[in-house]
Amino acid sequence: MLTIKNLKAKVEDKDILKGLNIDVKPGEVHAIMGPNGAGKSTLGYVLAGRDGYEVTDGSAELHGENLLDMDAEERARKGLFLAFQYPVEIPGVSNMEFLKASVDAVREARGLEPYSSVEFIKLAREKSKAVNLPADFLKRGVNEGFSGGEKKRNELMQMMLLEPSLCILDETDSGLDIDALQVVAEGVNALRSPDRSFIVVTHYQRLLDYIVPDYVHVLADGKIVKSGGKELALELEKEGYRWIEGETV
Amino acid sequence: MRTELNIDKALAALADQPKPDWLVHWQQQGQQVLSQTAWPTRKTENWKYTSLKSLQGISWQAETPDAVADGIRFVDWQEISIDFVNGRLVNTPKLPDGVTLHRLSDCSEAEGLTFLQKVDSERAGFEFDALNQSLLTEGYWLKVAKDIQVAQPIHLNFISSGADVVTSTQVLVELESGARATIAETFSATAEARVLVNANTALYVGDNAQLTHYHLLLEEGEVRHIGRVTGSLSRFASLSSFHMAVGGILKRKDITIRHRGEGAELSLNGVYLPKGHEVIDYHTTLEHEVPNCTSSEIFRGIMADHGKAVFNGRIHIHKDAQKSVAEMNNRNLLLSDHAEIDTKPELEIYADDVRCAHGATIAQLDKSLLFYFQARGISKKEAEVMLSFGFINELLDALNDQPVQTLLRPLLATLFAQKQADLARHIL
Amino acid sequence: MSEEVKQYIKSEYKAGFVTDVESSTIPVGLSEDVIRLISSKKNEPEWLLEWRLKAYRAWQEMTEPDWAHVTYPKPDFQALSYYSSPKSMEENRPKSLDEVDPELLATYEKLGIPVHEQEVLAGVAVDMVFDSVSVGTTFRAKLADAGVIFCPISEAVHEYPDLVKKYLGSVVPQRDNYYAALNSAVFSDGSFVYIPKGVRCPMELSTYFRINEAKTGQFERTLIIADEGSHVSYLEGCTAPMRDENQLHAAVVELVCMDDAEIKYSTVQNWYPGDAEGKGGIYNFVTKRGIAHHRAKISWTQVETGSAVTWKYPSCILKGDDSIGEFYSVALTSNHQQADTGTKMIHIGKNTRSTIISKGISAMTSQNSYRGLVKMNPGASGARNFTQCDSLLIGDRCGAHTFPYIESKNPSAIVEHEATTSKVSDDQMFLCQQRGIDPEKAVSMIVNGFCKEVFKELPMEFAVEAGKLLEVSLEGAVG
Repeated sequence: MLTIKNLKAKVEDKDILKGLNIDVKPGEVHAIMGPNGAGKSTLGYVLAGRDGYEVTDGSAELHGENLLDMDAEERARKGLFLAFQYPVEIPGVSNMEFLKASVDAVREARGLEPYSSVEFIKLAREKSKAVNLPADFLKRGVNEGFSGGEKKRNELMQMMLLEPSLCILDETDSGLDIDALQVVAEGVNALRSPDRSFIVVTHYQRLLDYIVPDYVHVLADGKIVKSGGKELALELEKEGYRWIEGETV
Repeated sequence: MRTELNIDKALAALADQPKPDWLVHWQQQGQQVLSQTAWPTRKTENWKYTSLKSLQGISWQAETPDAVADGIRFVDWQEISIDFVNGRLVNTPKLPDGVTLHRLSDCSEAEGLTFLQKVDSERAGFEFDALNQSLLTEGYWLKVAKDIQVAQPIHLNFISSGADVVTSTQVLVELESGARATIAETFSATAEARVLVNANTALYVGDNAQLTHYHLLLEEGEVRHIGRVTGSLSRFASLSSFHMAVGGILKRKDITIRHRGEGAELSLNGVYLPKGHEVIDYHTTLEHEVPNCTSSEIFRGIMADHGKAVFNGRIHIHKDAQKSVAEMNNRNLLLSDHAEIDTKPELEIYADDVRCAHGATIAQLDKSLLFYFQARGISKKEAEVMLSFGFINELLDALNDQPVQTLLRPLLATLFAQKQADLARHIL
Repeated sequence: MSEEVKQYIKSEYKAGFVTDVESSTIPVGLSEDVIRLISSKKNEPEWLLEWRLKAYRAWQEMTEPDWAHVTYPKPDFQALSYYSSPKSMEENRPKSLDEVDPELLATYEKLGIPVHEQEVLAGVAVDMVFDSVSVGTTFRAKLADAGVIFCPISEAVHEYPDLVKKYLGSVVPQRDNYYAALNSAVFSDGSFVYIPKGVRCPMELSTYFRINEAKTGQFERTLIIADEGSHVSYLEGCTAPMRDENQLHAAVVELVCMDDAEIKYSTVQNWYPGDAEGKGGIYNFVTKRGIAHHRAKISWTQVETGSAVTWKYPSCILKGDDSIGEFYSVALTSNHQQADTGTKMIHIGKNTRSTIISKGISAMTSQNSYRGLVKMNPGASGARNFTQCDSLLIGDRCGAHTFPYIESKNPSAIVEHEATTSKVSDDQMFLCQQRGIDPEKAVSMIVNGFCKEVFKELPMEFAVEAGKLLEVSLEGAVG
């Protein structure tokens, strides 16, 4: 599914990723944990193709295709979905308009007919219900005036609608109380399938209680310094990141 | 201004028309002022950024054709449409009880002078008032009687047509105390029109009265539109006034709203969207003459191609107008290397216990917003169109009248997606 | 405004004394002959006389600007004397500070200015300008060791003619505006600074301007050149005696900031503001402008508490790519003072940045206006400006105004402008008083808080002085 080899990247002339390797197979859930400033969010942005994140070495392939040559929207159309840590607010553009534009673009890339407006409205209502967002949120500006939890649920709804093959969840747990966290986690779990993979980026172990990973990687100073099964997350929680940082010295 | 602005033909036509002496006197007064007024240049503070060159070199005439174009029609609004062609009323709408429409030419001398005095008292040194006065052959006085709540919106549908035609109009809208009404003024032009539209509107909102007002300059093509909107708010009056300008060669509107009674409330919003080589210029002034009044003003513009916009927003808090609250915000997007914006938010404050603020920004589309779109598979081009539209749509969304939104949205959509029609598909 | 507060406003101008020295003052009036006389008194070369005359001829064809938000009787330019010098500075001109008339030096000492090199505030080199002449400059030798030139401009004309000839009028041309033209015709003394390539000026440079003689105007001219990669911090202070007549001060300051250089220019302007009835005071009509080349930085900081009428817009021409312009201003007006001040940021180069922080405080019946221009030229890709203009009103008879002009012709340039108005509220006052703070202290605390962002830009010695100055200017202005 996703193969990252020796990935190095910098932001504003500062090296952030310093040779990262990950191999994600279909259906797998990989957790990436690490202290603040380790490059966790950078990884998501680099894979999604944000401007200003410059790849200096290495490769990243999705379904055997070189991701790094594609524009951000092309990557999205190839099935890569980044759930943002801080989804932006877009006043004046309604959630519905935005969703339809997005879904149409992604479906078109997959050779599918665009939904008719009626079909789409029905579908969107269904999904918003599934993530527990009242239907009038579809009419409001994208994320405009949404609470932290509502923004995350809106991200989840988009994920459901776009049916990506690789989902990267960037600190999806940040700012969520335990109830909101459960709602989001349930949504994610419902989307798990043999041909869909997840990368769950998180600072805390608690999200992994609900989204149970197959593999856990520890990212420190731009590199994976330790990999293991889900039990690694528990160890980290107990020992703290200093334990890992100590080993890398 | 007489040397630069050739209105000889229009003046000659005036002379042939029968009219009462007091109106003749009014015109002559105007003509005298006009000949004494210096032609505004870049050195004239009021015209620092806007050239009047496009008015020169044309021999302007007066003409009132019979052929009537439809102008602007709203959908599903049940509005009362009052149609004007080159300033002349061309239909006889049935008005609800308590609403009257008088023509200046039908007025008695006393009424006529009251009309002109009301118009006159709102002046604030605008050069083109003298033109309006010089050529004024007809005025319209729309009155809503005390405590009358007009359910149906009233649409003043102004249509311009003809070659080298100058039209001066003066509308006076008066809501007596406790009255309530919605009035939409729209301006359009026939495809071949080559005109100078000089349209003035004076709004009087009485004690506790409520007026929702739209002033939409939608003329495309060879149109110059220069005029004024004034508003006078009495005690606890409420005015919500929305403005929009697209198309044409040059559009300039001076809007002056005066708070004259305590507790009055104003919401003044507007949108300007010059493209091609169009120039749009809004000058707004909020006069807080008495204490305890509130104003909120938001103007937004997007400049494309070689388009240029000027925005001058002045808030003036008079001495003793304590507890005034006035906020103004102006935001601009430049879409092209050749577009231009000149903005000047002004505060002039002579009372201390007030809350006043203004903000003005000029920027590009926010990169992090663009990325969010791209990350959801939407192309950059399309994201730009949607975001530009959204930037303006925020103000449309706030309008109370759905049919006005329905009229303006497609217009915006085609405007922003003019080069790639399919990009407009999501924003309708 | 409470009575208590009104009491507090009766401000006292502490620099209002007159120095009793014998002066040689040329007769009132302005003509080509007067200009020739000034030039000959300074023994100037022919080119400079021609330069002055050219400016004078241009000035005669110009009209006094009337767009500023100020009203005052137009000065009678024929009723002023354009040159006045202490006699002791004319005959047997002193060769060193030790030979300067002690009475003159005492004037500066009385104002708290370090005139002897051995004094505690020894980190500051001072040029003292008294009416139309410089009476002395400290630390010249120490500065010379570092290659820094710091001297009266009248001396620089003789000692460094090439530099003066090259840069004089290069930033503010003779016919730039009415007062700049007048200044170019009749300018007397001012400071000249040159910092060589790569040199960081080892001490703060400062000039103290003092108007002493009656019926004179002061027309100083300052030229600062920071060569590539150099750095200088310069400050100026201004005071004048209390007189019933209005006196004219029309200065020109030019800054040339070469690639990678930095000039920090601070002003504490405390010209006599006139009395509580609006009688007397200085008309302060000043043109200050700097040009910044590649990666250069010009920072203007001003604390304006004086003058009856102020008309002043320290500006930056951001010509070089990545150059930076800053303007930090506190302008306080009280009684009948009027100020129309602000800045112009002209963005020409790519990625140029400018910041404008303006704090206007109006008390009593004064009028205080911010007027500014931010201009993004077509080539200013990636340029940015941030402007914050805040007004504080003390009392309900004053005015606070904001007139910002913003022009952009570049789609990638970003401009943000914000302005707010507030007052010293009864609630704030009550809270302070309830906590045992007297009203004077409370107002000064609130005002100081309001100005904090600007004060932190001042060199330390000045920040303290500026704070005190505000306190004095506000005495009695509490509402």
